[in-house]
Amino acid sequence: MKLLYAGLAIALLISVLAPYLASSDPDGLESAAESVIDEERFAELEEADPAIESPMPDYSIEGKGKLGEILAISAGTIGILVISFGLAKVLKSNRSN
Amino acid sequence: MHIPDSFMPLSQALVYWAIALPFIFMSFRWARKDMDDMKIPILAALSAGIFAIQALNIPIGMGTSGHMVGAALVAIIFGSPFAGVLVLTLVLLVQGIVFADGGITVMGANILNMGVISGFVGYYSFVALRSKNIDIKVSAFFGAWLGLFISSIATAIEMSIAGTFPLVPGLVAMGTFHFVIGIIGEGLITAIAIAAIAKARPDLVDSKITEDSKEALL
Repeated sequence: MKLLYAGLAIALLISVLAPYLASSDPDGLESAAESVIDEERFAELEEADPAIESPMPDYSIEGKGKLGEILAISAGTIGILVISFGLAKVLKSNRSN
Repeated sequence: MHIPDSFMPLSQALVYWAIALPFIFMSFRWARKDMDDMKIPILAALSAGIFAIQALNIPIGMGTSGHMVGAALVAIIFGSPFAGVLVLTLVLLVQGIVFADGGITVMGANILNMGVISGFVGYYSFVALRSKNIDIKVSAFFGAWLGLFISSIATAIEMSIAGTFPLVPGLVAMGTFHFVIGIIGEGLITAIAIAAIAKARPDLVDSKITEDSKEALL
């Protein structure tokens, strides 16, 4: 369990720093899209709505600025920890049944 | 490298779901077989760490940024590419549903690219290099780099089949950007993490790999 706490501490530290350190440049796929698709079609693709609406799009909470980003990423980090821990437990306990 | 919904027609997105699902089920089977009370917290901590570090885009020049994927790192630590598939599936699910990073319909393609392709290519390149007695840091660096690079090539091909990217310019653009992202975002971080873990907990990393690769060679 010590590893869990150490891992969580590192993950949360990254979550708090990420909003300040992360580059706002588009990622590799977006940059590629920008350079190989013509402008009109690119704008069309970029503006298309996703299939479902997400509660915290772009790792942010509306109107809460950097703090919102920290909270969003931290919530995701803790959420992932809980989900993966839970799923692994469930899968493992199935074996002993 | 998260593909948004608008970049792929639904019919094709479903095909990639169909390819990804068996790998997801096999990753569940791997967890059922391999998880124990010592490994569960490690898996959970790694998943959280991968999620957090994916939020940290690193500038790579050319007006572009990239982040780590992490499937190869997880696969190397657990000695199975299915560990990488499992962690990336969970991370991509949460990213897509909660944070609108990567579409829901195209999530099968994203799991295939970042979980399956980068995990399998990364892991087996690492194992192949280790079996030739190449230094663990070098093997981890090269395996992780290649895993990311090949997965970007696969994404470019998928984008061309989808009619979103023209094939050759798409391959050149994706390949160029991810050649660099793979060095910094994937290769270096994986090598540093593996070196640190191998030092702190040698039982976790290398013994299993060398045994596995010996078995593979015999």
